Amino acid sequence: MNDAIFDIKAVEYSYEDAVALAGVSFKVDPGESVALLGANGSGKSTLLMMLDGLVFPSRGSVSAFGEPLTEAALLDEGFSQAFRRRVGFVFQNSDAQLFSPNVLEEIAFGPLHLGLPPAEIDRRVNDTIHILGLDHLRERPPFHLSGGEKKKVALASVLAINPDVLLFDEPTAGLDPKTEAFLLQLIKEINRAGKTIITATQDLRIVPFLARRAVVLGEDHRVAGDGDALTVLADQDLLMAANLVHHHPHMHAGIEHLHPHSHVEGHDHHQG
Amino acid sequence: MPKPLSTAPAWMRGTGPATCACCRIGRTRKRSAVERTIQNLTRALKNSVFSEQVAARPGLLQKADPRAKTAGLLGLLLATAVIRQPLILLGMYAVTLAGAAASRLSLGFFIKRVWLFIPIFAGIIVAPSIFNVVKAGDPLVTIWNFGHEVHLGPWSLGDSVAITKQGLEGAAILILRVAVSVSLAVLLALTTRWSDLLKALRVFYVPRVFILTLSMTYRYIFLLLSLASDMFTARRSRMVGPSNPREDRHFAAASMGTLLGKSHSLSNEIYAAMVSRGYNGEPVALRRFRARTADWAVFAAAVVIALVAWGADRALG
Amino acid sequence: MHIPDGYISPQTAGGLWAIMVPVWYTAAYKVKKVLKAKQAPLVAIGAAFTFVIMMFNVPVPGGTSGHAVGGTLVAVVLGPWAAIISVTVALVIQALFFGDGGIIAIGANCFNMAFVLPVSGYFIYRLLSAGAPASGARRWIGAGIGAYAGINLAAFMTAVEVGIQPGLFHAADGTPFYSPYGLSQTIPAMMLVHSTVIGFIELAVTSLAVLYLQRAHPGLLGGAAAPAPDAGGGFRLKPLIIGLLLMLIFVPLGLIASATAWGEWSPAEIRQRFGFVPEGMRRFAGIWRGILPGYGAQGGFWSSVPGYLVSGVVGVAIIGAITFLIVTFLSRRSGKSA
Repeated sequence: MNDAIFDIKAVEYSYEDAVALAGVSFKVDPGESVALLGANGSGKSTLLMMLDGLVFPSRGSVSAFGEPLTEAALLDEGFSQAFRRRVGFVFQNSDAQLFSPNVLEEIAFGPLHLGLPPAEIDRRVNDTIHILGLDHLRERPPFHLSGGEKKKVALASVLAINPDVLLFDEPTAGLDPKTEAFLLQLIKEINRAGKTIITATQDLRIVPFLARRAVVLGEDHRVAGDGDALTVLADQDLLMAANLVHHHPHMHAGIEHLHPHSHVEGHDHHQG
Repeated sequence: MPKPLSTAPAWMRGTGPATCACCRIGRTRKRSAVERTIQNLTRALKNSVFSEQVAARPGLLQKADPRAKTAGLLGLLLATAVIRQPLILLGMYAVTLAGAAASRLSLGFFIKRVWLFIPIFAGIIVAPSIFNVVKAGDPLVTIWNFGHEVHLGPWSLGDSVAITKQGLEGAAILILRVAVSVSLAVLLALTTRWSDLLKALRVFYVPRVFILTLSMTYRYIFLLLSLASDMFTARRSRMVGPSNPREDRHFAAASMGTLLGKSHSLSNEIYAAMVSRGYNGEPVALRRFRARTADWAVFAAAVVIALVAWGADRALG
Repeated sequence: MHIPDGYISPQTAGGLWAIMVPVWYTAAYKVKKVLKAKQAPLVAIGAAFTFVIMMFNVPVPGGTSGHAVGGTLVAVVLGPWAAIISVTVALVIQALFFGDGGIIAIGANCFNMAFVLPVSGYFIYRLLSAGAPASGARRWIGAGIGAYAGINLAAFMTAVEVGIQPGLFHAADGTPFYSPYGLSQTIPAMMLVHSTVIGFIELAVTSLAVLYLQRAHPGLLGGAAAPAPDAGGGFRLKPLIIGLLLMLIFVPLGLIASATAWGEWSPAEIRQRFGFVPEGMRRFAGIWRGILPGYGAQGGFWSSVPGYLVSGVVGVAIIGAITFLIVTFLSRRSGKSA
């Protein structure tokens, strides 16, 4: 398995006041769609940042496309540009991702800074704007966009780079149902086109739509489970231990009762 | 496991008494500093929405190349700064009105936008200087004649109170100059998209990093404005009774601290997002402008007006 | 404190642009060296922050309210060099987009509020809080006093820039071309408001904000946002401040000392005062007449007075620029040897 896209070996990472990752290992193969599951503070956002070469492990190692991904390696202009062209990151906070004065410049930022020729930049900007239906927003400054529109522009700004790997951090958080459905469909299509998708989320509802494999980060900041997405989602004990499901009150037939909340499959209301 | 709903303490259950006319005690609060801040913040937000709309109208200045427009307006601004004849400043003011009309700005709005605050404020400031008591000069209209020299402590007030020729002329020059300068700045701001204005700055050898910083600042001002506005609105909704200046002061400082903390983590996130898309500290510009003859005509017209005004000023003076 | 266009002559404005350009380039160089690619987002957010807090209304005892500039606070968190750029960017946006402060006057407004204010405020903060832990009381006290001093110094500079106008630029009959008030009027007016009201707003808000940061974000005060300016930059700032202070003392105080009531001189008084313009200065003034032909219009004595004073202003600009270069050069050397 030398052709793995990412090979993460026992990585550890701590912030000033908290541990984020405590020995995490797994591999990602080309074309896979992986869901990274974990509760708040389990370290999944840090892990995504690490895969994008934005933070670096204090212990352990990450390699990307067979090469070690280190701070020193990314200082090399050639390596850094090649890596950034192959990996794209859609951040959870669209406001942080949209820093340009208008939509057009936002989408052009990546291709421009990765040294693509002007004609190619124009083509990509126009195509992505078209795919995401943003034509009427071209000149719009980001603060005049709705939450859903911001997410689409953020996605467009990454798609214009045409990366092999796309990292998503909580892509559906705070979106209206229509935009959410559109986004999930698009992610699926991107994956079918051969791109590798890694999505960090705690919204178990969307996992069956966008991933065939699920990696669970536990409360102890280690991998608690790794396998077929549907199998992982069916493992209530694992999900409970990782704080991804909880008991919640539920009404049916006029009787209030508690049952584990996973939002994945329907459950038989007449058993309880 | 206990049912969450049953854990609520007794005081939380049920609802409070309904608000009704009988609750009114006839005392209303003075507008507090919190409310004034909210007003400031929303005004700035509205302002930007409006400017974007005006910049999208098909007018003369909107169509002009931002570089030609910026350079031209800068020339006019410099001419305005050196001109000393009130009549010629008045002529310059007429030029800005024509520019506004040609750019599909309603004149009533344009005049109000320009004069409200800055030139009126200038008028209030210079008002005392037209009197000989404040500033010596040749009396034009004598308001009060004491008949003898009046002393106020160690200061002499002279023997009369009068409006002076120098004071009046100086005040006219200042107010007109301020009004023309503000008109030119407002014309530029209203007819130019911010992103175009930034591109135009490149022509003036402003370093790219500085332009990138400017563009990001402008963009995040609006995020911080709405964050701040949320904080102050939340504060207002919790205010009962008259506002307490001491508490308001603490609140303003705490909001600043919170905003600073949020700003800092936001800047880290933005940095990560920029690096992720290939930024390495050297900004790359999007595309060059294609200036047409019409654009240069706008610039040439501005330069000619500036030179004519300057020449006329020198000839008269 | 924002000077609109029209209050000061283009010559004064130009002189202050001449001071600010090397300041901006040095600041950009320093910030880039320390923060590298991170400078754009950090400085931009700092500027946006400054812009927004200028809109915060702070109640003042007595019923009115005013606003803070926050320049010292930004300098405490980001370091003085980044603060210069942050406040500049905020002022440029205010001038270009919101019409607050003139465009030609950007150099002057930046000199007062983006340079004098944060740099002097920061220096006093460093002086008073030297050796104090991030959570120490001297931090917030020092920041408050620094903020008070910084905004008052900035107000003083503003008063001087506006106050020298009537003496420098007026018609033969005394009609002022720009602001009509002399130093004897602008300095008391500005200092009264700033030393009693606005200075205390800045003080209260800065102290309370630092106090808040000590509790909620102590990392920001440890210099996490700007590691090197806090460690080395603070020290290197010293010669710069001394140069700046010398400039401040010699130029405006010199003007005040010779001008009991600058704006109100009669021509006879001016002749008396400037009748002994040194020969070298006279020649220098001649050069200026060549560059600014408008001033020669009345001929004779009148032409030499504005020329002399304009050359004075430009001289200050040149001295400022040279001081800067020397300080930068020396600090780089001391940085290497350390």
